[in-house]
Amino acid sequence: MIQKKICMVGMFGTGKTSLIRQFVYSKFSDKYHSSVGVKIDRKQVHLGDATVNLLLWDLAGKDDFEDLQTSYLRGSAGLFFVADGTRRNSYDQLFELRRLAFETIGDVPYVVALNKADLTDLWALQQQDYDALTKAHWHVLRTSAKTGNGVNEAFYWLAAEMIKNKAT
Amino acid sequence: MTRGQGFEDPEQDVQDAIENSDRTGRDFSALRELLIGDEKRVLQELQQRVTALETPEELANILPDAIALRTAQDKKLARALSPTIEEAISESVKRSPQQIALAIFPILGPAIRKAIAETMAGFVNTLNRAIEHSLSLRGLQWRIEAWRSGVPYAQVVIKHALVYRVEQVFLIHRETGLPLAHVAQGDRDTQDADVISGMLTAIRDFVTDSFDAGSEAGLRTFVVGDVTVLVEAGPKALLAAVVRGQHPTEFLERLQGTLETIHLQFATSLSRFDGDPGPFEATKPLLEACLDTLLTTDRPGTRRATLRIAWGIGLGIVLLLVMLAFRSSRRWNRAIATIEREPGIILVDTDRGFRRSSLRGMRDPLAANPMMLLTQMGVDSSRVEALWEPYLSFDSAIVVARARAVLDPPPSLEIQLRGEILLASGTAPADWLSGAARLAPQMPGVARVDFSNVDITVPRELRTLASHIEQSRILFDVGSAALTAIARETVAEVADSLQHLQSISRDERYRTTLDIIGRTDTTGSNETNQVLSQQRAVSVLGLLAELGVSEDAMNGVGIGTSDPITTDDPISMARINRSVAFVVRLEPDTGSIWRLR
Repeated sequence: MIQKKICMVGMFGTGKTSLIRQFVYSKFSDKYHSSVGVKIDRKQVHLGDATVNLLLWDLAGKDDFEDLQTSYLRGSAGLFFVADGTRRNSYDQLFELRRLAFETIGDVPYVVALNKADLTDLWALQQQDYDALTKAHWHVLRTSAKTGNGVNEAFYWLAAEMIKNKAT
Repeated sequence: MTRGQGFEDPEQDVQDAIENSDRTGRDFSALRELLIGDEKRVLQELQQRVTALETPEELANILPDAIALRTAQDKKLARALSPTIEEAISESVKRSPQQIALAIFPILGPAIRKAIAETMAGFVNTLNRAIEHSLSLRGLQWRIEAWRSGVPYAQVVIKHALVYRVEQVFLIHRETGLPLAHVAQGDRDTQDADVISGMLTAIRDFVTDSFDAGSEAGLRTFVVGDVTVLVEAGPKALLAAVVRGQHPTEFLERLQGTLETIHLQFATSLSRFDGDPGPFEATKPLLEACLDTLLTTDRPGTRRATLRIAWGIGLGIVLLLVMLAFRSSRRWNRAIATIEREPGIILVDTDRGFRRSSLRGMRDPLAANPMMLLTQMGVDSSRVEALWEPYLSFDSAIVVARARAVLDPPPSLEIQLRGEILLASGTAPADWLSGAARLAPQMPGVARVDFSNVDITVPRELRTLASHIEQSRILFDVGSAALTAIARETVAEVADSLQHLQSISRDERYRTTLDIIGRTDTTGSNETNQVLSQQRAVSVLGLLAELGVSEDAMNGVGIGTSDPITTDDPISMARINRSVAFVVRLEPDTGSIWRLR
């Protein structure tokens, strides 16, 4: 069975932990965030005839991306970026976060979840924003940790990318 | 390259030359071929080999042999190469230190361990000496065991002191934090090995980042209660052991050794790891060798026993202190009660302190010494301060004591107080009595003295003289009251003695009275005998008066047979009762009537 490390990257309050909680049953309490700055969960996914054990490193979100604890990123086979669709600056910082992450660990498969899609009234992103992301090679999914919409798709897509990456 | 091919080119050249020249030229060439053809071919072959030597392929073929040959000859080659090699290594370290570290890790590890082991050996010796000074009961037992088994004492201590169990061992990929292999004791749940591996790596990273410890240092040990997590880090992998209890230093070395072996044996798999832990299944026997349990059944028990002994001793000390305090307090209270009961002492205030105590009160000068009483009751009187105001006690014991002090009675006299009357009983000289009768009423607490139970002691000289007189007996003939010649002589002696006694007793302030008692034998009637005895007494009295004894000091009395002098022989009994006997009474000349003895 293949094991892969995925880091969840995103600003404070974008819903990384909620996404993981939607995706897996958490063993560790969330207090690890405040103490160690990271919480790790596991999820097994089946992709065709391959089973992949995903280890999800949920990094504590920071208000300022420069505080990103890059040492936790080391060894990641994939990155799961999260932005809050109702907060524009969390979207704006995605590019800088990606640059920083790649600077540390090199080019790995990644995905971006525009979270809180259930809050349509407060949604702050427009079509041109999606286009900008796509143009910059982001794979974009709209997710809602509350309803579960798009969550599985995002994780499975990333897992598949990582496996594919290995094959090539 | 085959030999045929080697000939092809020169032959071609020759033919070209032939075709380009005329016929004559061709003949000439043929001639030349005939003459020097062989030499030319050898020359061409040589030329070819020289050219070939300049290609890397040929050099590669001969270089190892050449180096080996030259190295065997002298050290010139090594000297020539060393600056280049040094430069190359330094460059390599600069460019990719991880590579060099990975390469020399298996060599460096044991070397460092050996150096550390030597240092540790010295340390253990020091420890040995230190332990040798600890003289606990347990230490003594261990010492005996060491002596019996011939094993160094420190080893025995370690054997007893170290108990540990390695419960889980994780082999973790250093970069990703993914588990490569995991083994655990017994049926422990191993499901979360991946998450735990991740967290261990994260925590290590966290500590390294937080405290700026440098990338190669990292967290090596963390302790949670009884559980210690030991983390050994290699260039590619971490080895983490979860240990319950106290692990020995050797265990750390074992972990290091295991990690080095894994780095050596699985170097390729470690470098190429991409999430598939399959190749590391083979490390499990190595990891399982680290799952160590050292059980000494006596240690927890010893701990409990030691604890029990410690508690016991503590409790014993507390009990002893309580008992001592209780005893001391009881002793003090009893001493105070004794002092309070003591006549002539009134306690006003007592204060018992831890170090010093104090007493305050009033004391008759004749009362017992309270400090002596305290000492007698077992209280350390040197720690007691006492302040006594003098006073006069009317307690009967003190009044009696005072009477003794003032009157100084002879030892034969008992004095006691009843109410305010001083009662004396026993014997005392007459002159003491007269003095005491005068002094006693002046004493505080005494209204008067009662001497009615006191017998007067008579001076020895008077007593002797009196008994001499009383031993004299005047014998009469049957039925007669007439004094015989012998009787007259005896009476004269009595008269002398009596006059002598009287003269002395006057000086001693005693008055002497002589009772003259007449008796008869039992023959005859009582009336006759009464009269006869009376006559016998009168006869003696008359003669004594004639001889100068004052009649005032004499009483004559006839008692007949009423109070006979008895003896076993009836004849002599009759004889001695036909007589007159004397009783001398000595009375103090005080006017009172004293009984004499």
